[in-house]
Amino acid sequence: MELIKEEFVATEKATKELVIEEITRNHKLLHRYKLDKPSIHIGRDYHNDIILADPHVCPSHISIDFIDEQWQITDNQTVNGTFIENQSERKFKANQHIISDGDVISLGKSQLRLLFSNHAVEPTVAFSPFESFINFMRHPVALIISIVFFTMLAGSIIYFNKPIEVNFSQLLVPAIGMTLGFALWPAGVALISHLTKHDTRLMAQLAVSFALFNLMWFSEILENIATFNSSSNNILPLFVTFTSVILAFSLFWLNSYIGFHMGSKRRIVVSASLTLLLFGGSYLIQYSKKPEFNPRPNYNATIMMPSFLLTTSSNVDKFIDDSSKLFDKTSKKAQEE
Amino acid sequence: MKAFFTLVFMVLSSSSFATEQAEQLFNQLKPSLYQIKLIDKASGEKSSIGSGFQISSDGIIATNYHVISSYVLHPKKYRIEYLDSDGNTGLLALQSVDVINDLALVKRKVDSVNNDDINFFQLSRNAPHKGEELFSLGNPHDLGMIVVPGTYNGLKKESFNERIHFTGSINSGMSGGPVVNKQAEVVGINVATSGNSIGFLVPHDKLDNLYQAFLLAPPESIERQMATQLTANQNKLMSTILNSPWLTKPLGKHGMIPIIDVPFIRCWGDSNAEKADALILTAVANCSLDENTYLSSRFFTGSMEIEFRYMQAKNIGANKFYHLYQQQITRAGAGNRAGKDNVTQYQCHHDLVMPDNQMINNKSIFCTRAYKKFPDLFDVLYLSASIDKNKQALVSHFTIAGIDKKNALAFTRKFMEAVSWN
Repeated sequence: MELIKEEFVATEKATKELVIEEITRNHKLLHRYKLDKPSIHIGRDYHNDIILADPHVCPSHISIDFIDEQWQITDNQTVNGTFIENQSERKFKANQHIISDGDVISLGKSQLRLLFSNHAVEPTVAFSPFESFINFMRHPVALIISIVFFTMLAGSIIYFNKPIEVNFSQLLVPAIGMTLGFALWPAGVALISHLTKHDTRLMAQLAVSFALFNLMWFSEILENIATFNSSSNNILPLFVTFTSVILAFSLFWLNSYIGFHMGSKRRIVVSASLTLLLFGGSYLIQYSKKPEFNPRPNYNATIMMPSFLLTTSSNVDKFIDDSSKLFDKTSKKAQEE
Repeated sequence: MKAFFTLVFMVLSSSSFATEQAEQLFNQLKPSLYQIKLIDKASGEKSSIGSGFQISSDGIIATNYHVISSYVLHPKKYRIEYLDSDGNTGLLALQSVDVINDLALVKRKVDSVNNDDINFFQLSRNAPHKGEELFSLGNPHDLGMIVVPGTYNGLKKESFNERIHFTGSINSGMSGGPVVNKQAEVVGINVATSGNSIGFLVPHDKLDNLYQAFLLAPPESIERQMATQLTANQNKLMSTILNSPWLTKPLGKHGMIPIIDVPFIRCWGDSNAEKADALILTAVANCSLDENTYLSSRFFTGSMEIEFRYMQAKNIGANKFYHLYQQQITRAGAGNRAGKDNVTQYQCHHDLVMPDNQMINNKSIFCTRAYKKFPDLFDVLYLSASIDKNKQALVSHFTIAGIDKKNALAFTRKFMEAVSWN
């Protein structure tokens, strides 16, 4: 867990034990030391209590001493100096500074955070309910089932749309190819989290992605059933389209939940932006390809086998009546243009 | 051998006689024949050419509508000019059109002084008889005025609007030229060819009607005149179709489809029965109206297509059958050519429809687009796919160009109720 909040409490009484955290410039924790000594030496040579490898740090850079119930920094006339770099104030020289809980000091290019042992920590973060879902899905058996299911679905879709006779291997090769193609996404996310010094968790990423890919197939089938069973007056298919947006958002949210440590607000923003990029981008591509004038009608020709037929049909009167409205609509358009 | 010589001699003599006659006719009629040119104002060059002939002493010249159609649509871009046999040119003014019969009347300025010696063509009073020798006049490919002898072969049966079948080679550029009998009376106007000496003419009575109507009351606006003609023609066509017998015929094993029993709608059929490896057996019946009203080179109307498709799955399951079946119906297109300037985009409605006889359950799609210049006229497209049988399908589809709302809906209703399973 990362300590992100630094509460500056001046009245906090200094403890005899001092916690020193070696952190990165982005305040990510590298090492943590807990020292119970009245005088602490920090520098590059080996007699120090905390040895820093930073070449810009002097061999004996600073000492921190517990005097009169207070910790005080002494800079040993170093080449590059020592500074207090708290987020809320301007950077200033650290020599003779009395330490407050949470102070960040910089020496060379390194940063240290100084905390008293009674520093208040963040409340415990409960496991997200998704955690158990992720753990369930990343179980090897569940993962294999989900990937095999995906491959089978891909294969059957290829089979259904091939107008010629095909044998098993002719289906298997493209189906596996498609599965590998889709695996690139979780693999890519895992790679990025590995590169950014987060947990790789490739299995979890694969598990979550394929589970959601399968749900997306399923929602597509639902969408087809909804479109098939409704007339163009019906808005039900629109709702079903909305589920695929939600699924995409969930995928991105889980990917970032598994792969990266970030605040919940930020995670929502990131997943929402990715969803927008995906759907907005594909809409934009469609829009840019749309010709200015289309001499062909654009209609929905979704048909499915009779077992998917769930509604009763309209009669001819109703159809003629609905169709007759199109004449007024197009006439109006013709007059406008 | 002797007989053979006689035969050749007869042929030779008759053809030389015909040539002589043609030459005489041609010389007599030449002064009233014109080449009609559409001049693009900006470039000053001709953009299309045709032929025309004078039919009155005050300078009315008859030609084809399609010769001057660009001018009708873009009067500011073009001007109409004539070129007579002496090489004189002059401006022509558009007077009246008949888009259905592809005719137009233009007028040339005539000096009122020497009105008497102006020659003009006389329209025949009677239709020619079958086998009668006729002479087509015109200016093919800008090569100069020529005369082509040929034979009258009656009216084209498959045509809703009458056309004369003329055996003789009519070429492009001769459009709008007259066809005369031996008495030099006009019996038709060159309009189209299907190659190999098959030509089509507009009967002279259509021109006579147009001219008489023009004398009575010249049209106020050509566009409105066209709209009226198009509306009237589709009314006439649709009432003929709706009141003609619709025969029910089987298609494939179980499909029942309507065939409209009129001579001007002709049907063709095809199937893939010979293809052993096809997954779906398909039988197609295709009917169409051999009519295409020319409005401009990018805008045709008046056509009608009807298509039925019966499909039966061979060795595949229902799910796969329906996937392939869907691919068959996703790309229906318009039956006529029309562009952005002429029509709106299509608007569509789809629903599941079962006729009252409950013989079939369909997914039906109806699309329409409106004409921009001719209010109340539309192109319609209908497509219906049966969804009630696991391994059989019946697709019924039609497109009609240039039809009004009432006729379109009446036709659609009758069509929907006529398709079923047996």
